This record gives sequence, structure tokens and C-alpha cells, in this order.
Amino acid sequence: MTTITIDPYASIGARGRFLYGLGPLAKLSAPLPAMVLLVFARDIATPLAFIALAYLVLLTGARLTARLLLLLVVAIPAGALVLGLGMAVWTDASRVDTSVVIVQIGGWTLYGGALFIGLATGVRLAAIISLALIAGLTTSGPDFVRASVQQLRVPYRIGYTALAAFRFVPRFGHELDVIRQAHRVRGAHGGRGPFAALARWWGYIVPLLAGAIRHAERVALAMDARAFGAHPDRTERHLVPWRVRDTVFIALFWLASAGILIRFFPWSL
Amino acid sequence: MTVTSADPRVATADDTPLLRVQSLGIRHEGAELEAPASATFDVARGEVVLLLGPSGAGKSTLALSLNGLIPHAVPATVAGTVRVDGLDTAHTPVATLSTHVGMVFQDPDAQLVTGTLLDEVAFGPENLRMPVEIVLARAEDALRRVGLWERRRENPDRLSGGGRQRLAIACALAMGSPLLVLDEPTANLDPQGIEEVYAALGELVAAGDRAIVLIEHNLDAAVAITDRVVVLDADGRTIADGTIDEVLRARADELHTMGVWLPAATIAALRLRAAGWTLDPLPVSPDELHAALEAAEAPAADAPASAADVRSPGPRVASGGDATSGGGISVPASSLGVIPSPGDRGTPLITVRGLRTRRGRAEILHGIDLDVHAGEFVAIVGANGAGKTTLLQSIAGVVPVPRGQVVVDGTDVARTALRHLSRRIGFVFQNPEHQFIAHTVFDELAHGLRLQKLPDAEVSARAFEILRRFGLEDKADVHPFLLSGGQKRRLSVGTALVAGAPVLALDEPTFGQDRARADELMHLLRELSRSGTTILIVTHDMHLVTEYAHRTIIVGDGRITADAETSRIFADDALLRSAGLRQPPLRRAFAGLRRHPSLAGITRLTDLPRALDARQTDAQGVTS
Repeated sequence: MTTITIDPYASIGARGRFLYGLGPLAKLSAPLPAMVLLVFARDIATPLAFIALAYLVLLTGARLTARLLLLLVVAIPAGALVLGLGMAVWTDASRVDTSVVIVQIGGWTLYGGALFIGLATGVRLAAIISLALIAGLTTSGPDFVRASVQQLRVPYRIGYTALAAFRFVPRFGHELDVIRQAHRVRGAHGGRGPFAALARWWGYIVPLLAGAIRHAERVALAMDARAFGAHPDRTERHLVPWRVRDTVFIALFWLASAGILIRFFPWSL
Repeated sequence: MTVTSADPRVATADDTPLLRVQSLGIRHEGAELEAPASATFDVARGEVVLLLGPSGAGKSTLALSLNGLIPHAVPATVAGTVRVDGLDTAHTPVATLSTHVGMVFQDPDAQLVTGTLLDEVAFGPENLRMPVEIVLARAEDALRRVGLWERRRENPDRLSGGGRQRLAIACALAMGSPLLVLDEPTANLDPQGIEEVYAALGELVAAGDRAIVLIEHNLDAAVAITDRVVVLDADGRTIADGTIDEVLRARADELHTMGVWLPAATIAALRLRAAGWTLDPLPVSPDELHAALEAAEAPAADAPASAADVRSPGPRVASGGDATSGGGISVPASSLGVIPSPGDRGTPLITVRGLRTRRGRAEILHGIDLDVHAGEFVAIVGANGAGKTTLLQSIAGVVPVPRGQVVVDGTDVARTALRHLSRRIGFVFQNPEHQFIAHTVFDELAHGLRLQKLPDAEVSARAFEILRRFGLEDKADVHPFLLSGGQKRRLSVGTALVAGAPVLALDEPTFGQDRARADELMHLLRELSRSGTTILIVTHDMHLVTEYAHRTIIVGDGRITADAETSRIFADDALLRSAGLRQPPLRRAFAGLRRHPSLAGITRLTDLPRALDARQTDAQGVTS
């Protein structure tokens, strides 16, 4: 009945697809160096190469669903393009290469240099997102928490509390809908425009917070009543071990990343 | 088993009470009074104890102290002692106590942590660092006991309310504790959910391996599994402790006067006794009342009516409180009751024709036709997801509706801005906090009037009139969120009516509330109804429907499946069951009475024959 788009608890898996057999931390740490270094890249070739790498891993390692294909083929390229054009318009024209004029409207000119910088930014973000999807699309919430607790020694009290907090999201979404409806009925803050909208949203915060705090207190009591936090550790029914394939995956991915980075050095225009 | 011989009388481990509460007084941080003030009782192994007391006696607070959440997790000053298995809860960590006391709270959603039923039940044993095999064995056993083992891989979100509360019971069972404490476990459930939970509890009690402390307002279900009743007075002192016979039957009058809620069958029996009936022992369940009535002689005064088998609602309407209710609805007379045709009452106040409401792409209501006349008190009932809330919201314009399908007080809802619609129909949401938009109680009321661009003097005068009417005069400058629960509810009704709306629409206004607060609201609605306000209410509580509503509409799958006088709807058991509803206890007691056919049609307490000297008293009062 309700449309909950993201279920952080849903178990994820598919036969014969290698990404699901890897540990969450391996999938996260393999692309991490590349993601960090991409922040400093200024060209288009380096991010494009990483997009290609991420797509290769996803298309061979993740379950091919319509959703995945739509995301990779439509959403990410379109997002990069829109962001790129937006950034191109926004870029300070006095600091770019003005030798090529793309469009001229009245006194305003879009130079080739600005367009290049804008697109580079868009592609860079697309590359970072694509790399993050390797872990994001193939890992379930509980598995990530378990791996963090078992291997990174994250205190389980934090990990499992965060997981419990996922339950709040759809609940608060629903509660927000009801509050908006109730305020509309009362005829609160009529009017259009950003200021009226801001005032409206401000009015939703108090009842939403009041409800959220009460709910959080109740959940905390219920968890306490079931001995949560009683001991320094707890039974792990699902072990998420670190396996040889995790090390191999990270090594290969880092090698490929290094190859790309060396090939396109110094990643500038 | 750890048993410290703190009590000198203890001879053997078997004699130790599982739970011993002695002169327990609890004062919440920042509160002035202790509630409970001095509670004392024991619970033996395998015993089911029902804890009763008027609203404010501190029953829920007491529940939290039984597993040490008070004082360890909730700051409070505690006097007296609570011992579980000999452990003093004030000095034992909650985690240790969790293996002795399992808790089930009111809101099933606030007890979920993980993503599948199995993980959820395993959560507690995992926290106790039990080996995996034992965790799984306990989880399986607990899930099987509440009938959810087959669904162990599902997300708890997919369970119904009753299913989720059964899951919470399983989670408490999996802790392996010999004592379960349930605090209002069915307050958030629909009738079907309540039945499910009590079926699960019934099996638990039959197995006999767990003691239960039950705090519950739905006594008609609870009494059937109860061994012993402990009653707290308004301050939270134990004033009664004994079997159902010793407490509920022998001291019912006293408890009722104190404001302790009793089973509906018991209240009815008290009223019948006052009217001269001999009902001994006092019935505590619908079945007992039914049997007692079949066995009893009608009192002399009432005999002629019974003998003649005339259902004469006339004198009762005149003597009871219903004479002033609008619309001239006849009571109860199921076979005679026909809703007067529109011609009798002029133009309807609300007209719905061929209503089709959509949410997104889905059509929720498939062509609803409905007329409501001024002064009616209409209940809209049905199973979860049937579309009853959507119907109410469509009538009030809360959700968009097609033009020309809903007319309220001469105005097409679809063509009117919501802020102007508030003069025609007021809407009250389930949670009053959701609809507060101002920083003081006065502004909250003034808001609706200022929208109408009324002069300041009139705004102030009308707002204060509402404040007076709802008993909030001294709260005008208080922030709405700082009011008590009952005051918030009254304010929300006030804001809905302040603009002068002749119609009040309420969406499950008693959901999750205790009986006293629900009753307070319903009395308020009855008064509004008597003074001419038309009331539409969506609710799951069939007791409230039969007690207060003139007319009941059953919604199923986006259509109206039945629409008639309340007593007629509740005379048809098959109809109710097919709509996922249940008979309220009074109906179950009186339906099909052979010896006293004059009582067979009774659905409400107010319909009962009254003692002569009681005819002038308030509908809820019972003379002793």
C-alpha cells in the first residue's frame, strides 16, 4: 500500500554474480582511493576512465535489473549533463579560456572553456557516484553494519542503533505527510514563493520533532528491555568474514585505478 | 534459579513469589506527586494478574519499574521495593532483569529494530551473548507460539497491527523470562488485531509456564485469562487484591464509583441490578451476563413490558438522555428502526453523489452515494484499508475530490479553498499535535477567525467563548504542546469548530488512548451532537460506535456495504464479521435473549432499563 522505495533490510543476492560474494568493506575500500583522488582531477578523460571501470564491474558483477540499467544508461549520464551545463553557465567567464564561443545571447557569452570546465565537473561527480554504487547497489544495510562491527570494531551499540534508525525514515515520511495535510486543513501559511514555503516547513518541524523524540524514547526503552548494550559484544549469527577474494578484488581494483591515474597524469586540462 | 532469601517467611524456593512489589511509590523527575503512591502486590509463578486503576494511578509507570527501566533508564525517585526472582530492581541492571521480566508495550511499531521476523526475535537472545544454536531454538519456539514461524523471513512492516504485537510478544518470550508485563497491548489495534493478540495470550496462559502482569482497558477480553485482579486507587495505592470473584464481582460498585473501568457486561449488570434485577453472582463477561439473564426473573416493575413483548422505546427515549439528540432518532427497536426518509427532515446537510476519490493512480472510492442530515452522529467503520478515512477526508476536502460529487452545507467541496471550507466542516486529526500551528492556545483558536478577516474584537470574543466551552480559559497563553493529552484533544476539537462549522469530522480520535480519555472525548462529542453539531467519526472501537452513534456506515473495498441505524447494523452479526468487525460485548450479551425479548435489541448502556430514582442521573452514572 505505502510506497517505501528503499528497504535497507532487504537481503540482496544473485547467483553467479561476483559482487554479492564479496565483503561489504572490500567493495567499499576498493574504489575509495580513486574516489578521493577524483576530487582533485580537473580533466574529462580520468573520470571517464573511472566511469568505464565502475560500469564494467557493475555490469559483470551486479544483478542486471531494469533499475540498474536505467540508472547507468539514463540517470547518471543525464545527471552529469544537466549538472555540467549548469556549472558551465555559472563559471566565472573572466577566468576561462575564451578562444571558442559556443553561444552568445545579448551581452552574455558562453565560452568553450566554461563549457569544458562545467562538463568536467559533471563527469567527475558521475564517476564518484558510479564508484560508490559498486558497494551501494550490492550490499544490504545489516551486512554493512555487521562487517563494520566485526572487522572495523565499530561498537555494536552504534551500528545496530543506526540500523534501527532506518526504521524511522518511512515512519517520519508518513507523519510529515499527515502534518502537511493537517496544516493545509487549518489554512496555515497560505501563499506561494520561497518565503511562504520556508515558513510552512518551519511549522512542520515542531510537531515532527515532538513525535520523533517520543518515538525514539519508546524504541530505546524497548531495546533496553531486550538487553541491548548489556555486554561489550553480542552474538553474531551472520559472520561476514574477510576472505581471500576480498583481498584479490581490492588489489586488482587498486592496480586498475593506479593504471588509469598514471596514464592520465596530471589529470588537468 | 537465583533466589535470595530476602523474605524471612520464605521456606522453599517454590514459595517465593516471582514478583513482589512492596509499598512502591514513584515520582517522575519534575513531577510533584507520586503515582503510584504505594502499590503492594505479589505475583506467583504462572499466575495472570490484571492491574486496574483509574487514569492517573500510575499503572504504566509501575510497569516500567518492574524490569528496572525505572529508575535505570527513566529518571525517577523510587520508594519501596520491587523484587523479581529475589532481585531488587533498583540495584540490578535492566539487562540482567531482562531475562526475568519480558516487556510488551502499547505501540508495536516502537518495538521493532531489525529487518525480518527471525532477526527481530533473535535480537534479545543475541544481546545476551547466547550461542547461535540456542538463539535459533528460542526464536523458533517463540515464533511458533504466536503462530508467526511460517513468516519468519518477512519484513515486520508487512504484518498487520495484531501481527506486529504478536511479534512483540514473541520477542519477550524469547528472552526466556518467567514473567511477562504487557502495558495496554491492544490499545493501537483494530478489533481483528485484538482478537489475534488474545488468542496468542490465551495459548500462552494455557501452557502455564509464564506469569503475566496485564494492564489493559479492553477488559472484556482480558478477564477471560485473568487469575487475580489488583486494583490501585486514584493515588496509586493498592486497595484490592484478589480473585475475580473477590474483587470484580464483590466490589464492582466501589470500583466503578472510583473511576476504574469495568467490563461492559459488569457495568450493564450493575445497571440492571439497580433497576431491580437479581443477578448473582455479578457477571464479568458477555456470556455470563447472557446466562444470568436467561436464568433471572424480570423485576416486577418491568414485568408488564416484558410480558407484552412490546419494544417500547418511547418512555426510555423520554427518560434517557437521548431526547435532546437531534433528528428524532428512534431507540433501539431494531426491527422497527427505519431511518426517516429525507423528506421528513428537509435537505441533507451533506450530499455525496457518485464519489470517486483517487490517490495517485489508484481509485480508492468507487462511487459513493451518501446523505447526512443536520444533527446526525454518524460512525464510519470498516476493516483496515477499506477506504473509510479516505471517505471522511473526501467529505472534508482534505484530499482532492472531483467537482460536483461532495456538497457540504450548500458548498461544493471541490470548488472551495480549504481555508473557506473550515466554516462548513471542521476536521480533527488522529494526533492533535499534528494540527497545531500557533504558539499559544488563544492564537490557535484565533487563527481560523483571522483567516475570515473578522475584526479583532470579534476574534477575541469568539475565541474566548470556545476556550470557556472547552474548559481551557486559564490556558489561553500556554503553548499548545504544553497542554495535557486531554486538553490537547479538546483544543483540536475547538479549533475545528471555532469558525462556526456545523459539521465535525474526526479520524480515529481515540486511537491509542486510554479509556478515560476516550470517554471524555466521546462525552464532549455527545454534548456537541445534542446542541446540533453534525458529527462524522471514523473509529475501530465498536463499543464507542454502539454507545454514541445514531447511524453506522460500513465501508468495504471503497464502497458502502451497509448504511443504517446503528442498532440495525449491530443486529446483523454476519454483516459485521464479513466487514472484519466484531460485536461489542454488550451486543454479545443481549443478542438472542429468549427469556426477556425486550432486552434482546439492546446495544447501548443508555438503553438499559433504569431504576426509577436513577432516571435523572447522567448516562454513565450507576446508582448503588
